[in-house]
Amino acid sequence: MSVRLLVLIPVAAAISLALSAAVDAVALPLFLDTTGTILATALAGPVVGIATGVVTSAVNSLRNPTFWPFVAVQIIVALYAWMAARAGLFRSLKTAVPAGLGLGVIAALTSTPISYLVFGCTTTGGIAVTTALGKALGLPPLGACFFGSFLADFGDKAVTFALVSSVLHGLPRRTAARFPWALRAIGAA
Amino acid sequence: MTRLHPFTLLAIAGALPALAWIFPAPAGGLATAIVAMGLAISARAFRTAVFTAAPFWLFLLLLHDVPTTVAIGLRITTMVASFVWVVAALPPPRLVEAMVATGWSATTAYVFAATLSAVPVLRARARRIADAQRCRGMSPRGGLAHRLRALRALALPLILSALHEVDERALALETRKLGPGTRRTPLSPPPDPVSGRVARWSLVVACLAALVWRLR
Repeated sequence: MSVRLLVLIPVAAAISLALSAAVDAVALPLFLDTTGTILATALAGPVVGIATGVVTSAVNSLRNPTFWPFVAVQIIVALYAWMAARAGLFRSLKTAVPAGLGLGVIAALTSTPISYLVFGCTTTGGIAVTTALGKALGLPPLGACFFGSFLADFGDKAVTFALVSSVLHGLPRRTAARFPWALRAIGAA
Repeated sequence: MTRLHPFTLLAIAGALPALAWIFPAPAGGLATAIVAMGLAISARAFRTAVFTAAPFWLFLLLLHDVPTTVAIGLRITTMVASFVWVVAALPPPRLVEAMVATGWSATTAYVFAATLSAVPVLRARARRIADAQRCRGMSPRGGLAHRLRALRALALPLILSALHEVDERALALETRKLGPGTRRTPLSPPPDPVSGRVARWSLVVACLAALVWRLR
């Protein structure tokens, strides 16, 4: 791994953790906590993406330890983003947003067993409320838990993919060419 | 407790939640939660632990009956209190020194230390970008599409500026000969007495023994 890719890991992890300030400013119910993982994967491949996801979870756990068990979700996100980058799905918003919606389903499927078994579906306030809504709609406990995670992840991952696609297109070509996967992810190589 | 080797502190913080989940509820969770809260008090982190764990109890009550709330709540409280304690008792530079001293690559230590130092810098930059965009007429109010456009106007400059720094940081590291696989000699490695190593392995054995006992 080159020094540039090594440096990308903490920068991408810090982007994931700092974006909450931007989300707070516009008061949207989003996490964007996988932005750095997806971006690092699209720029530099799965190893850097997985490392970014693990570091993001580890550092986030220092603020709130309940994030650590969800490190598996970050790894799944990195692998999915790698496949999306290989397929050039970041080439436009028309391909990035559906890919993000697909990731939302996969992320919800991954996080539901963790949330259900470890935390009784109480990971964050928003998910707890939507899980309660699922219970009120008559869903079984595990189904209500998936319903809550799905509502949280579906839109979040679509916005994240759209944002990463915008960043990849916003990078100057000379800068993008320094990362091994960036041009292929946007369908330019 | 803060004089213990960083790995011993991490072993305690990892063993308490593991035991909370292995031992039968609610007695097992209650015992580990008491120990974890005691540790949090010793590190003057009791309030942080309580404020972090309290929302989970509320949400658990919203979703479950009282016995389930108590069982899961005590386990989550153990996890929260032990992590809050270890964060309060273990300064990141001391952990980095310990990692380097035990043979971890300097790059691994760099990745964690650089992330910890970059987060507050980028958060402050995000707030400055938000202020600048407001001066240019961006409004965070309105419908969903309007807010998403505002989010793009905030997030793009933040991410692009961070990515442009990658080359500068890489150059700085290369001039200091920090590359993958590089080993460094720590300036003041934390002492790691035999008793500490025995305590760490004892905790691992205790967790495995508890797991075997529970699965029988």
